Amino acid sequence: MSPAWETIIGLETHVQLRTRSKMFCGCSTAFGAPPNTQVCPVCLGLPGALPAANGAAIGLAVRGALALGCTVHPKSVFARKNYFYPDLPKGYQISQFDQPLATNGTLSFLSSERGVVNAGVVRLHLEEDAGKSIHDRFPKATAVDLNRAGVPLIEIVGGPDLRSPAEARAYLQTLKQLLEYIGISDCDMEKGSLRVDANVSVRRTGETALNTRTEVKNINSFAFVEKALTVERDRQIALIESRARHGRHGYAGGGGLFRDRRQDERRAPGGRQLGDDRGARRRERPQR
Amino acid sequence: MSDAKAVADRLVKAKRLNALLTPPKELRKSLNTQIAAARPTGVLYGMPVAVKDNICTLEFTTTCGSRILEGYRSPYEATAVAKLKAAGALIAGKTNCDEFAMGSSTEHSAYGRVLHPLDKTRVPGGSSGGSAALVGAGAVPAALGSETGGSVRQPAAFCGIVGIKPTYGRVSRYGLVAFGSSLDQIGVFGRSVHDAARVLSVISGRDPRDSTCEDRDPLRLPTVPESLQGFVVGLPKEYFPPELDPAVRRACERAIRMMKELGAAVREVSLPHTPYAVPTYYVIAPAEASSNLARYDGVRYGPRFNGAADLRTLYRSTRGQGFGPEVRRRILVGTYVLSSGYYDAYYRRAQQMRALIAQDFRNVFDRGVDLLFTPTVPTPAFKAGEKLADPIAMYMSDIFTVTANLAGLPAMSLPIGRVKGLPIGGQLIGQAFLEDEMIEAAYALERVVPATDEA
Amino acid sequence: MSVSREDVLRIAQLAELDVEEEALPTLAEQMSRILDYAAQLSAVPANGTVKIFVPGPDAIRFRFDEVTPSRLAFGPEEFAPDFKEGFFVVPKLGQFE
Repeated sequence: MSPAWETIIGLETHVQLRTRSKMFCGCSTAFGAPPNTQVCPVCLGLPGALPAANGAAIGLAVRGALALGCTVHPKSVFARKNYFYPDLPKGYQISQFDQPLATNGTLSFLSSERGVVNAGVVRLHLEEDAGKSIHDRFPKATAVDLNRAGVPLIEIVGGPDLRSPAEARAYLQTLKQLLEYIGISDCDMEKGSLRVDANVSVRRTGETALNTRTEVKNINSFAFVEKALTVERDRQIALIESRARHGRHGYAGGGGLFRDRRQDERRAPGGRQLGDDRGARRRERPQR
Repeated sequence: MSDAKAVADRLVKAKRLNALLTPPKELRKSLNTQIAAARPTGVLYGMPVAVKDNICTLEFTTTCGSRILEGYRSPYEATAVAKLKAAGALIAGKTNCDEFAMGSSTEHSAYGRVLHPLDKTRVPGGSSGGSAALVGAGAVPAALGSETGGSVRQPAAFCGIVGIKPTYGRVSRYGLVAFGSSLDQIGVFGRSVHDAARVLSVISGRDPRDSTCEDRDPLRLPTVPESLQGFVVGLPKEYFPPELDPAVRRACERAIRMMKELGAAVREVSLPHTPYAVPTYYVIAPAEASSNLARYDGVRYGPRFNGAADLRTLYRSTRGQGFGPEVRRRILVGTYVLSSGYYDAYYRRAQQMRALIAQDFRNVFDRGVDLLFTPTVPTPAFKAGEKLADPIAMYMSDIFTVTANLAGLPAMSLPIGRVKGLPIGGQLIGQAFLEDEMIEAAYALERVVPATDEA
Repeated sequence: MSVSREDVLRIAQLAELDVEEEALPTLAEQMSRILDYAAQLSAVPANGTVKIFVPGPDAIRFRFDEVTPSRLAFGPEEFAPDFKEGFFVVPKLGQFE
């Protein structure tokens, strides 16, 4: 990689918490069950169903936040992220927006290029997972399995503090080690209990402004993290060099690198949240 | 103990009202099964209770008065329904309503309008018009409805029966199809205060499945009081505007006189933010509805409209054709006020106004007032078709009822007179979780007010 | 506050619901009326001093982390419009990205 260019990478990690039951209902979170057998009115989004929050999930999330040196907020609010997608049963995801569980932490890892890097953790919040959409099982159709819908997740948003695809991999490996060690998740990328979206942009060395970034989604192995980000970085450099504007795009199938359509809806205006389940919900600091 | 045939016969006799969505044959069959299984020791043993079609039952369908849930059978039942059955009550069919509880006349159902029990050219009110009409016609002693902006009290007033909306959080919403999550409550209709109150008592109480339901024991019913000695009743002046229908005013004045005769202290009070209640409600309710109705997409349940096309077409056709015009309008308004650029101007403002409205009530109750008395609706039942052209004209029907939903307070309507044979309702608004005081006053008033006399 | 035909179409897209061409002018007009009516709310001071009120319990009550039976009297195969081999089936999104 030419010293003339600087790569800026920030990672958003979704981590499934090791609870027995889902975030808002008593369905099992066990992996590998036959499709749509770990479902109930709540996680199916049936008319009239209501969420009931899992206390253990809060505890695990707080543990993760503390391990990352975050400030844990005694009051945080569940809010709805409204968008339409077949594996999102309610047409909204219960997440946290304005008042997340935790902010301002650090993940220190060893970069082969720079030594110890203290990457910033902007925020850590709780949310529920969506179900699974399988696009290649039936012709011209998508198969939807809602076993995963409602599994508790924490979303860990890292700052734009990583400077190479190798650093991204190192960051993730350290994060996995940490969260596994403290027992809040098994962080298995293959099983999907650790998922990564990467924000990548490049700029000429010496520039201070950040260029448009691209989001690379659904990376499902550590090796692929490095590979995908390398490809993306090179693509952006080539684009800038050819003086083209760039924005979002996706990679075709294979290797698990394809853009998730729902990302568009999530960022679209009109996806404004309402508190769940009334207007705002608050969580008191858990008793030790 | 009524037998299945007698219960069914009474309901079928009221068929012309179009209030019952359950076909007679299915109703009879289910009632036979239910009677055999009903708990004889239950406090409501054998009592037929009709249920509004936006409340999930295992018996019958749950359509919410909409095409988008046509034929839908819920695989679970609402907590309130389970409690009724545990008390030995019979689920006496599902009642017609404005689609997804959005409306004030039950003219917005996909299954046809409901007729007023006393005058078929008029509306029974809404959105729980089917439940109200059946109780009003004497076809069933009690029925469940739901409230978001007055949808139990207003039809109760129009149909000359009792309608109670509990404090927000008194009755579990698990199984009540959500419209406005911060406003919705299941309410009860009855021929008398006692009938309505004892059904309310049974369905109330904690439910771990609903986090917004308070961790309290079921409501304990008060005894019928000798007088209203010791009660301080407030009359909010904003609810007695100059343009109030003269017959409604007369009926209220008569009821107020009787409260005084019963020993209540009556005083004028003010709820200054009342004029902003309807616009506040019509920002918050549609906003919440637009989110709550996002799940109706043809993917997991309900019919599909244009199901073979691509995903986007499936969504848009199903929702475009499955929802009726009023629901569609509210979803669009709701989506608009939540969209970026408008969120602060509308939704946030409305939430703040709501706080001011709730504060108005607290201020009055903190000054020694126990209950408020007002007309329930500005007019008696209007004619079918009269208010369909202008949505706002319809919304104004809720002017005296929405405040209690916004503030989360218990409120009820009881019949206090007639005008040209049409019922007029008087409203009591109580303090949070003090339904017993409100019901106590209602018991006393009910005994003396000549509810069927011309005002 | 005027809601235009284009506004209605844009909002309808966000809400994933079809609006027929003929209905657009009336809807635009009705929505304008409703929003004009709602604009009375500007009587509230714009600053954040008024705290939001929502009825019901202040803090969430938590549920114990245990697996409980689904309380479904029957499974999705009974109510789903299209269900094959254990999956909900939907048509694919238009064309790939």
